[in-house]
Amino acid sequence: MTEMLLRYFRKRQQQVETEKVYDTQCPFCSMQCKMQLIEQSTVTRKTYKTVGKDNPTSEGRLCIKGLNAHQHAVHNDRIKHPLLKVNGEFVRISWDEAINLIKEKFTEIQTEHGNNALSVYGSATITNEEAYLLGKFARVALGTRYIDYNGRLCMSAAASAAAQTFGMDRGFTNTIQEIPHSRCLILAGTNVAECQPTIMPYFEKAKENGSFIIAIDPRETATTKMADLHLKVKPGMDAALTNGLLKVILEENLIDEQFIAERVNGFNEVREYVASLDLEEISEQTGVPLDQIKKAATVFGREESGMIFTARGIEQQTDGSASVRNFLNILLATGKIGKEYSGYGAVTGQGNGQGAREHGQKADQLPGYRSIENEEHRNYIADVWGIREQDLPRKGVSAFEMIQKIDEGEIKGMFLMCSNPVVSNPSAEFVKKALEKLDFFVAVDMFISESARLADLILPATSYLETPGTMTNVEGRVTLREASFPIRGEAKHDWQIICDVAEALGKGEYFAFSSPEEIFNELRVATRGGIADYSGITYDRLREEKGILWPCPDQDHPGTKRLFGQEFAHADGKAKMVVVQSEPEIPKEKPTEEFPLYLTTGRVMSHYLTGVQTRKSSTLAAREFESYMEIHPSTAEKFHIKDNTLVKIESKRGSIVVRSKWSQTIRKDTVFVPFHWADSQNVNRLVSKKLDPTCRMPGFKVSAVKISPIAN
Amino acid sequence: MKKKKLILIGNGMAGINCIEEILKNNPNMFDITVFGSEPHFNYNRIMLSTVLQGGTKVEDITLHNRAWYDSNGIKLYTGETVVKVDPDKKVIRTDKDREVSYDKLIFATGSVPFVLPIPGADKEGVVSFRTIEDCQKMINISKNHKKAIVIGGGLLGLEAARGLLNLGMEVDVVHIANYLMERQLDQTAAKMLQQELEKQGMNFLLEKETEEIIGDSRVEGLRFKDGSIVSADAVVMAVGVRPNVQMAKDSGLETNRAIVVNDYLQTSIPDIYAVGECVEHRGMVYGLVKPLYEQGRILAKHICGIEENGYQGSTLSTQLKISGVDVFSVGQFHADETSKTITQYDELAGIYKKIVLKEDKVIGSVMFGDTKAGNKLLDMISKQKVITDEEKMFVLQSSSQDSQVAAMEQTDLICNCNGVTKGTIIEACQSQELTTAEEVKKCTKASSACGGCKPLVTDLLAYMQSEDFDEVIEKETLCGCTTLTDEEIVTEMQLRSLHSINEVMHELKWRTEDGCPTCRPALQYYLGMIYPEYETKQESLFINERMNATRQADGTYSLTPQMYGGLTNAEELRKVADVVEKYQIPNVAITSEQRLHLTGVRKEDLESIWKDLDLPLSSTYGNTVQNIKTCIGETVCKCDKHDALRLAVQIEKKTDYLTTPYRVKMGISSCMHNGAGSTTKDIGIIQFDRGWEVYVGGSSGRNARTGQLLCVAETEQEVYEIIIGFIQYYRETAKYAERSWEWIDRINLLHIREVLFDSELRQQLIEALESDSYQNKQVLLSNK
Repeated sequence: MTEMLLRYFRKRQQQVETEKVYDTQCPFCSMQCKMQLIEQSTVTRKTYKTVGKDNPTSEGRLCIKGLNAHQHAVHNDRIKHPLLKVNGEFVRISWDEAINLIKEKFTEIQTEHGNNALSVYGSATITNEEAYLLGKFARVALGTRYIDYNGRLCMSAAASAAAQTFGMDRGFTNTIQEIPHSRCLILAGTNVAECQPTIMPYFEKAKENGSFIIAIDPRETATTKMADLHLKVKPGMDAALTNGLLKVILEENLIDEQFIAERVNGFNEVREYVASLDLEEISEQTGVPLDQIKKAATVFGREESGMIFTARGIEQQTDGSASVRNFLNILLATGKIGKEYSGYGAVTGQGNGQGAREHGQKADQLPGYRSIENEEHRNYIADVWGIREQDLPRKGVSAFEMIQKIDEGEIKGMFLMCSNPVVSNPSAEFVKKALEKLDFFVAVDMFISESARLADLILPATSYLETPGTMTNVEGRVTLREASFPIRGEAKHDWQIICDVAEALGKGEYFAFSSPEEIFNELRVATRGGIADYSGITYDRLREEKGILWPCPDQDHPGTKRLFGQEFAHADGKAKMVVVQSEPEIPKEKPTEEFPLYLTTGRVMSHYLTGVQTRKSSTLAAREFESYMEIHPSTAEKFHIKDNTLVKIESKRGSIVVRSKWSQTIRKDTVFVPFHWADSQNVNRLVSKKLDPTCRMPGFKVSAVKISPIAN
Repeated sequence: MKKKKLILIGNGMAGINCIEEILKNNPNMFDITVFGSEPHFNYNRIMLSTVLQGGTKVEDITLHNRAWYDSNGIKLYTGETVVKVDPDKKVIRTDKDREVSYDKLIFATGSVPFVLPIPGADKEGVVSFRTIEDCQKMINISKNHKKAIVIGGGLLGLEAARGLLNLGMEVDVVHIANYLMERQLDQTAAKMLQQELEKQGMNFLLEKETEEIIGDSRVEGLRFKDGSIVSADAVVMAVGVRPNVQMAKDSGLETNRAIVVNDYLQTSIPDIYAVGECVEHRGMVYGLVKPLYEQGRILAKHICGIEENGYQGSTLSTQLKISGVDVFSVGQFHADETSKTITQYDELAGIYKKIVLKEDKVIGSVMFGDTKAGNKLLDMISKQKVITDEEKMFVLQSSSQDSQVAAMEQTDLICNCNGVTKGTIIEACQSQELTTAEEVKKCTKASSACGGCKPLVTDLLAYMQSEDFDEVIEKETLCGCTTLTDEEIVTEMQLRSLHSINEVMHELKWRTEDGCPTCRPALQYYLGMIYPEYETKQESLFINERMNATRQADGTYSLTPQMYGGLTNAEELRKVADVVEKYQIPNVAITSEQRLHLTGVRKEDLESIWKDLDLPLSSTYGNTVQNIKTCIGETVCKCDKHDALRLAVQIEKKTDYLTTPYRVKMGISSCMHNGAGSTTKDIGIIQFDRGWEVYVGGSSGRNARTGQLLCVAETEQEVYEIIIGFIQYYRETAKYAERSWEWIDRINLLHIREVLFDSELRQQLIEALESDSYQNKQVLLSNK
């Protein structure tokens, strides 16, 4: 809470009368920093301050987001009652009316158009319990195959790459505590300094210990500044760059032959393909000088240990999954996985990016990282849920494809939970038009977000301060978020809303839960024997042990700190290397005469996702209150863009207007715009509809654009 | 529990440092007994060369005096040598036949000077360079003799030679190799060193092997193997040291070159540790303080039962302690076929740098003339860090570049999370003598949140402790009349309930009787802020909104019909024209804020003019919110100006007659054409399709400044609230006469945003402004 620096006592604050302390975890990234909100009340007002709480991952640190995370939660704009749109205006209705309306509309749609005419759109910010329950809700209460979630736009590339290469997708293969001891760290397309600030001391410690840090990013960020070597790659050329690194590693014979022989499939094909490539050409394609490619590859190859971290820069591409696999190829070729201080980390963005992707919110997935198309898995889960296997729907489609199906009229209704798809999806204007076509649209949210604005009915949800539950952090560590802050108005927990709707739809027996812990206990059973096995984890253990790294198959199991020490999770115990083409099968946009610049996107320190929460926070909004376009001064001059002036950015899909920000450190062929703002500042309006063929991730990180000054 | 008995053999630096570490870990664990062969308390052997060079006295190099031993309950036997250890009985015996038993024993027997086994080595006038006694001998010799020879052109020999020069002797340095310090330097560096030392007066005899020290009972000279002879009154033998391990060996400890220890400094016999120069760890024997202290720290942990990773060995670097000579050497500095070398050789500047790398990692270096990068290189070698281009640049640069923090303004933020500026940290460091990042964190909160700025804080501390640092945060008093700052005065005025200028000056011990043109108006402003009902002496006449005027220097008055937003109409203009004509008002001007300004009005006409005009008049004399410039008169564009005008009128009405720390100029433009010059006003607004841009801190004065973008308000209501909040926050936190941009720089734009974006705080400010405005009008009315 900001305190004013008033000089005159007549305006100064009164004595604090009471103080209350609430345990919680910061909602704003995958570090899940534990913290306490201290509420101080005076006669006239309440003030808040937040302090960090020790835990194995963030060690009590908080960043600017965590320190101010309460501001949106106590904001006056929180929705306090169910709201129904009547003649374009939202009016307050009761919960009974709201639930009845849902029952009526959902039944009507399904009777007329079939079960699959309803869709569910979930979130990676909700708890494991809620993610699990939402998946079950879609399959059991609605009986629809169409469920997916915003993690599709976030984690799907890394998840599919790790699953295909290692047979298992847990964010970090090692604990975060190993980072300081690793001798070489590659940070690829990840701006941890702004997105996960409290992880930084681990990297800084590594640097102090003599580790060589390599950053891969088209622009200079607070993260790349820490690096010893910064490869300023052309947006979208990561596959080619990694092929270059592999080629040097092979040519310099920096591979671990024994490791490859014993534990890896597919090496020879990769070797052959890479041998056919030309390094000069790769340097040309990627815009990275040859000596830098060589240095990065030789240092990583030679050092005794090394880790690679990827995030959205690599992953939010139409070849994101393949590019991540090529980074994993590097780890496998050099034998830097499954041992001390060596491994992979997918730096999850969202608060529960890890947990929310394990328990069945994904179109093709069932709890415990099971597959909805695997008969054995279907039978197991049908059994746990007490339904017939043939009643369990088959796989659906990805988040953006669901929206396309809405546009095409196949899907008529949507149940949206804790997400803002009209801002976060590519071709955002198209998404908006599609959602406007829905016959019935329910949004569960804390605010009237840009998406909720389009809904017929908004249900008020509780915030992270109010709803307890487990969150699985960036490492794959399951943590218990305590929460006991008084609920605002008539808001309900997401899980309660799910149970209430299910009940109204006549499926109450499958959703008879009265606490998150009860849901978690069912989740434990559902994940038993799965890849993400939580069955040995209990709330009591989480409280006592401050988090447990999965898999944890029984209550005596301590959790798994390092993966793949002996074998990988594929049936034959080996990891799979795969050839990754430098030029992907789905071609990416390249600058043309009409659209001469690359556009790439990302986060800023003080905001989170589409900004619905952080834009409401005075302290965070004070740091960045609007979007901007980072541009190199010489490019700016070429296009007559002065510093700090409004610029129109256009792609084939649409246009936005933001303020220019000159930066000496960005590539001259690239502009950057953060993605936390909506409407005329929403950069996702410019992004194409193309998806990664493997994981259905949109290509947020590369578009071709033109820019022009807004004339005076 | 009964204390265990601990014996330390050797009263030198390594041993006593280790005892200190043990006491730090657990002061009550051991009964400690120390034996030392030398008749002194523990002293700093490294400083002997400075003693010899005349910089320090012998007394000054004592590290621990009697009181230290006593207060820690340590039994000290000086001048007594342990001659035997019986590990079976756990007993030691001394040369004075004392037997003492132990539970734990530490060898810290150090080294002994190596004496060449040549004839004459025992003659009078031959000395080593190891102890206080050796130094004293040399000092005595120098009093009666002229010519000294130092045998040994290594580190020790050169330092001794420099000392003897300082003592006024002629000095020859005899060295067996063809260049000096051949174990630490390459030939190039050694030659540069030799030239420098020759300049200082040393004479070198290289490639000379001494065969005999000649003379009767006393030294007269040396004869070399080649038959040549050189005369001397004294010979200092400085050809090296040998670990002092004979007794350890005799007592059954495993020795090689020295006493063999493991990573925990344990010897081959249980309960016996060894530390210091007498130790061989992983084949290495160390003779420098840093590794020996590191060993001591680890030994102390282990002996106290505290978990510890163990000693991993140290990288050694050499720095010669001769003033005016910068020599640095580390690691493997001779290149071979597996290594690569970077060399920089500047004969003009007398600088030589050689860095030897293997696979991009520094493995050794020799530098002469500029050794600033020494620590960095040492660090890189010990961490086996791959060198980066920036590090290469740093090492090769002749002087250290300005760091990022040095270039930062004091108002720039170091810690973004907690909004801590560079100035705040410097001030805290200076006022509270903070020296570590941890202290800064505690005191200022900088780096206490995410820790991301810790490197910057560390850099800032290093910069503050460097010679380049010359930034001072001075306490700025209000004026010469007082020793108090503005802030202190305001606080005292409130604490002591001071209600008038005279009271303030008296109570706060003003140096002048009536203050000065700086402090009087300031105090008046503060009184008005503290006591809104406070009555000030008005320069202008104010009866009510329609009856006021401002007194001019020549005694006449001026009037300004209000014309909110710069709009007028036929009726108003007619009235004004009539009045001007009727009362022969000499000057009618259009102000830059688009008002009509009538000057040269006679006092006696005021009453009737007011009556004839019957228009609201604005009173913007002095430090108040000025009339707002709008773009209504702008002809270049045809944009809709309606909203902007309405906003201007609304704000003017709200802020009429309100005093501010300094004049507040405002402009409101209805479009991007910026017809009101909004970007060079204290507060400037520009309407655009997303809402309203709010610029603050601009100035069109002599030193024009462009305003900074405070925010973009989406609605008219929001922009209104932001502006009113901004004005009130300025009123309540700025110093008197502080321009808006000075105030913004001082308290930080980010902070202002945080306050104004918080709807609760914003409302609080708006209410305060309303209340002040009301009170103010009451005062003005009562003033007539």
